[in-house]
Amino acid sequence: MSIPDYMQCAEDHQTVLVVVQPVGIVPEDEFFRIYKRITSVAQVSIRDSQRNLYIRYRHHYLPENNEWGDFQTHRKVVGLISVTTCRSAKEWPQTSDRFHCQKDVFGATLYDSRLLVFGLQGEIAEQQRTDVAFYPSYDVCPDVEKRVEDFVESIFIVLETKRLDRATDKSGDKIPLLCVPFEKKDFVGLDTDSRHYKKRCQGRMRKHVGDLCLQAGMLQDALVHYHMAVELLRSVNDFLWLGAALEGLCSASVIFHYPGGTAGKASGREPSLAHGQGQAADAGKRHRPGALTANGISADTSSEIGRAKNCLGPEDIIEKYKEAISYYGKYKNAGVIELEACVKAVRVLAIQKRAMEASEFLQNAVYINLGQLSEEEKIQRYSILSELYHLIGFHRKSAFFKRVAAMQCVAPTIPEPGWRACYKLLLETLSGYSLCLDPKDFSKGSHRGWAAVQVRLLHELVYASRRMGNPGLSVRHLSFLLQTMLDLLSDKVCQIRTTEGHVCLGALTLDQKKKEVTQSLENYTSKCPGGMEVLTLPDGLKLPPVPLSKLPIVRSVKLLDLPVSLRPHKQKGLLENNMSSKSPFIYSPIIMHTRGEERTKKIEFRWVQGDVCEVQLMVYNPMPFELRVEHMGLLTSGVEFEALPAALSLPAESGLYPVTLVGVPRTAGNINVNGYHTSVFGVTSDCLLDGLPSVRTSGCVVEVIPSLPRLQLSTSLPRSAHPLRPSKEELSSSVSVQLFNGETQQLIITLENIGSEDLETLEVTSKACNTKEKLFGEFLSWDLEEAVSQLPLKPGQSVTLTVNVKVRLDFSGGENLLQDLNDDGISVTGLPISSPLRQVLKPRAETKPLGSESSKTDYNHVKTLEAVMTFKYSGGAGKVEGYYRDLSLGVHVDVEPSVFFTKVSTLPATRTRQCHLLLDVFNSTEHELMVSANNNQDLVLHPSECQRMAIQVAKFDFHTLPQPDQEAVRYTNPKLLEEERLHTQASMISSTLGITWNIPSVRRQGEASVEGVLNQLVLEHLQLAPLQWDVVVNGKPCDCDIIADCKVGDAVPLEVKLTNRSMNAVGPFALTVVPFQDYQNGVQNYDLQDAVTFIGSNTFYIDMVKPTENSVCMGALLFLYTGDFYLNIKFQDDSAGQGKELPPSWFGLPSVHIKALEAPIEAGA
Amino acid sequence: MLTRLKTQVPLFSMNSYTKLREKLKLSGLSFASTHSHVIRLGRHSRHNSKMAVCIAVIAKENYPLFIRSVPIQNELKFHYTVHTSLDVVEEKISAVGKAMADQRELYLGLLYPTEDYKVYGYVTNSKVKFVIVVDSSNTSLRDNEIRSMFRKLHNSFTDVMCNPFYNPGDTIQSKAFDSIVSAMMVQAS
Repeated sequence: MSIPDYMQCAEDHQTVLVVVQPVGIVPEDEFFRIYKRITSVAQVSIRDSQRNLYIRYRHHYLPENNEWGDFQTHRKVVGLISVTTCRSAKEWPQTSDRFHCQKDVFGATLYDSRLLVFGLQGEIAEQQRTDVAFYPSYDVCPDVEKRVEDFVESIFIVLETKRLDRATDKSGDKIPLLCVPFEKKDFVGLDTDSRHYKKRCQGRMRKHVGDLCLQAGMLQDALVHYHMAVELLRSVNDFLWLGAALEGLCSASVIFHYPGGTAGKASGREPSLAHGQGQAADAGKRHRPGALTANGISADTSSEIGRAKNCLGPEDIIEKYKEAISYYGKYKNAGVIELEACVKAVRVLAIQKRAMEASEFLQNAVYINLGQLSEEEKIQRYSILSELYHLIGFHRKSAFFKRVAAMQCVAPTIPEPGWRACYKLLLETLSGYSLCLDPKDFSKGSHRGWAAVQVRLLHELVYASRRMGNPGLSVRHLSFLLQTMLDLLSDKVCQIRTTEGHVCLGALTLDQKKKEVTQSLENYTSKCPGGMEVLTLPDGLKLPPVPLSKLPIVRSVKLLDLPVSLRPHKQKGLLENNMSSKSPFIYSPIIMHTRGEERTKKIEFRWVQGDVCEVQLMVYNPMPFELRVEHMGLLTSGVEFEALPAALSLPAESGLYPVTLVGVPRTAGNINVNGYHTSVFGVTSDCLLDGLPSVRTSGCVVEVIPSLPRLQLSTSLPRSAHPLRPSKEELSSSVSVQLFNGETQQLIITLENIGSEDLETLEVTSKACNTKEKLFGEFLSWDLEEAVSQLPLKPGQSVTLTVNVKVRLDFSGGENLLQDLNDDGISVTGLPISSPLRQVLKPRAETKPLGSESSKTDYNHVKTLEAVMTFKYSGGAGKVEGYYRDLSLGVHVDVEPSVFFTKVSTLPATRTRQCHLLLDVFNSTEHELMVSANNNQDLVLHPSECQRMAIQVAKFDFHTLPQPDQEAVRYTNPKLLEEERLHTQASMISSTLGITWNIPSVRRQGEASVEGVLNQLVLEHLQLAPLQWDVVVNGKPCDCDIIADCKVGDAVPLEVKLTNRSMNAVGPFALTVVPFQDYQNGVQNYDLQDAVTFIGSNTFYIDMVKPTENSVCMGALLFLYTGDFYLNIKFQDDSAGQGKELPPSWFGLPSVHIKALEAPIEAGA
Repeated sequence: MLTRLKTQVPLFSMNSYTKLREKLKLSGLSFASTHSHVIRLGRHSRHNSKMAVCIAVIAKENYPLFIRSVPIQNELKFHYTVHTSLDVVEEKISAVGKAMADQRELYLGLLYPTEDYKVYGYVTNSKVKFVIVVDSSNTSLRDNEIRSMFRKLHNSFTDVMCNPFYNPGDTIQSKAFDSIVSAMMVQAS
């Protein structure tokens, strides 16, 4: 007996063994169909008794094992059912012969036999036999079960007879010695008459009867017999049989205690390993009347008591098993019996949940040597050990043995290694090593498990799957290994080589260094590229895809906004609808969102359909060699997205490395960037961000708006070398130019539509920024009309726009320097400009106190003007949605000073409506410079030269300037209004003056404005008085330089007209006309009563004059002598009561110069 | 207490005493002696003077924090040995009732004997496991010595844990701990 039945369990002792075998040619599937039906009759209750008979069916049984039938009767084949095909009556005799041959194999032990004949057509001439049944086909055999039951009953009758026969065999007849095969030769020549021998015979027989009783369903009797046998055999030291008796005792007790059976519902046995199919499945259903009857109450209470007495307790069962096994262990040839006993005991212990003791039994079973085992037997043994360990909850041990079994399948000694079986067994060990092939489970939390053995197992899986010709599987496993065990593929583990000498994979020489792992991965993928599909094994196990998210490792994912020039903006008004905030607070320091929300958080900016969008990943390569990543692209949802994959090569163990992945959204909507796609070592992976908790991201959902046109801007001026000073907004481009103050430059801007949509609208605005300088006049000016007229602009077309860059900064020279001089106000007579100013001007940089910030405002300082031109454009579908784009152009102008007006003053001109404006002009350039005013000749200035320039100007009537409208006045503050008023006045003056400068040497020219130079006093002087006085002498209007002629003796009519242009009513006034003579030597003679006489009064009274009205006073003079006379019109304000004095400049009356000539003779008579 | 013990001694029945003896005999006789089918050569000369051939520290979650074996041996083999011993450790821990868990003795004793080795276990109250594998031929090693080895190991492990720079759950890289382990694995003087 060499082949153990690992499926045995204690309750098998009460079964009778029936072999079912095919005879002749029987299709295998048909046979097993019939076999299954036969085995369904596993338990038959016997008529007229309360006993049950249990049957164990085998379709394969070694006759060798049958020889042990006397030792334990359940090993004895007592029944034979043959299944055969017989098509015609002609074949019948042959079939019958075969059946008899087969019967002979087990002939010695058979109680009864049956032959089931299928497929017979026609009749058999032979008479009806009870042991043969005919069926027309395998499908039409309704009473097979019935026949089997009958058969079992007939077996029972034989069994019962034998039992009674042996049990009552008390006579002085010689009891035959039962013995096991290997004992036979030992007893040759033994004294058969000795007491010792007799006792041995008795004991063995007692034990045998016990077995029969147990099989016949008489548990109580069996126990009694076993006890007696134990006593008898112990006394003669017949250890082998003593062991058997003890085991019998145990079996009977187990049957009593555990009516549910000990085989358990587990044991997913494979057909190749288990010889007895269906047996285990039936075990649970068995009903054991020996323990409890069907209704739960034993019919005979007395037997119940007796049973309880004879029966072993749960503890004792194990003790007796141990004892029995120790006796078996004394006999080398009883190895199988010992092994089976161990297995049975383990099953019992598993039921009792005594894992520790069970493990001891198993440990022992491992050591039992059954001589030379075939490879298949070894596999079977390891598998069953694994199963048993699993049963007692030792999952690791179970996995260990399963793995050993797997290795055994492909042992080098096997000519045809069963890689499939090996792989299958290896997969079953996964749970024992707490390994799950789903990377999602793995990534949850930190790695937990025994890394070294897990790595080993994965390597074996890889190798086995490759050898079984499924490179796809090995790629999947290798990817998993790389993905999950990357940190563990350290050098330390690399030293671990193959295991357990006899179970290692001979050919498995995979090195565990990272490099080699990846190399082999590359090798495999060259045959079968790894993908993201779920691999399904034939047995239904699904291998989820393994994205290699650690090659390279991604640390953060950041969606990038479009470049400034391409960013879409929403039209105001529409935007406000979107500004719904979740919280009622404008600001809260508590950040409520969680990580998960962060992922789904929508990002502020927007992407545009059809435009390339970027996502920046920070990646690094954890491998000690260069990593080539191919086809790295984005995975998105929500919007049709065309990812443009990139290939990158990361240096060994690189630090964080930014990688920008790009793509083009093809439709509008909300796009969710949920992962990225890579191809590393030939394995393509889709790494989803949800599964990568270590990746930082600031949101992955962004809105894609419909497409917009795209403009490219080019200018005639050179690009700016240095960007504009820090400003909030980024600029798409900027230009820079150097200009002299007052110069004007043309800037030609070309806008080309490089997008795919028509440009429909274009707006241009500009904004000066970052400038503290006071700017006069418009810095940038343009005319958009022409450009707009070309819209809509088709893709590829361009439009030009001319912009005038005009710099007019303050031309006042160092106001701070002149402060002191100006304090007393500008004297009408002017200021000697020579010495003090010169002194200040000359020592420029040299003598300035160091660190004095104020000195920086030197007038030679190059000033900077900056402005941003913004081109707002839109078109296409995006325009419909209310989006536009901004293109901004920074204009940077370095303004070099040209001329300065260091001092300004006025001199009254001879006419009251004119005056002289005196400007001290300073040339701060390094070139010779010419200054000219409107109607003056050029003034040549050498570098750093200052000269005074006098310009005669007509006084200005500021009232003619447009008044700001009332609405605006109401809402702006008075100070601003005042400033604005001053500004308009100044610009009016400036434009009237029209001062220009010209540097011939560099061919530059520009304007100079006095706007910043003028102060209140000067302005007042330049202003036309609101009260306008007109003096008409002799019908001719008079002014300072006009000499009115008159004749002596004639009355000269004098008319003084007052026109009130002020806002208020003025007057009443009193005017007195006083004539005098100027001798041109400083003496003025007012004593002219004799020479001039007034006709009427020389004093005029003017009543209140309302605004815009006028009042005329008429008088007359009579000159008595010839001569040059002057009239001084003196003026007296009578409106003292009103409290407000009018400024004296309002009364700038012309002095009248009258030349009295000789009257004609006739008049003098 | 003493008197009670004295009176109890005779109460042991002869039967149970023999049972006990048989039990002891059984484990010795059957499980180790008769069926050793692997012939081992030169094992005694190799390391019978070593104290331990493998020492492992296993985290509460059953992954190794530290494992060290004699270099000439196949390291993975010890990984398997220690890994499978966890089954027994778990069984032994769960065998002690919940209520008794606090008073449980940390030393678990012999976990299981293999052909070549004996595996001893020790579990701290925080469920960190220590496993020491000794050569089964090393009969000179007494239970007390194993216990003291475990105590030393536990003390050193406590020191490791007290290191503020040690991250609980990481593999142990302490030199002090390593030297303690080395001392247990070198030849006993």
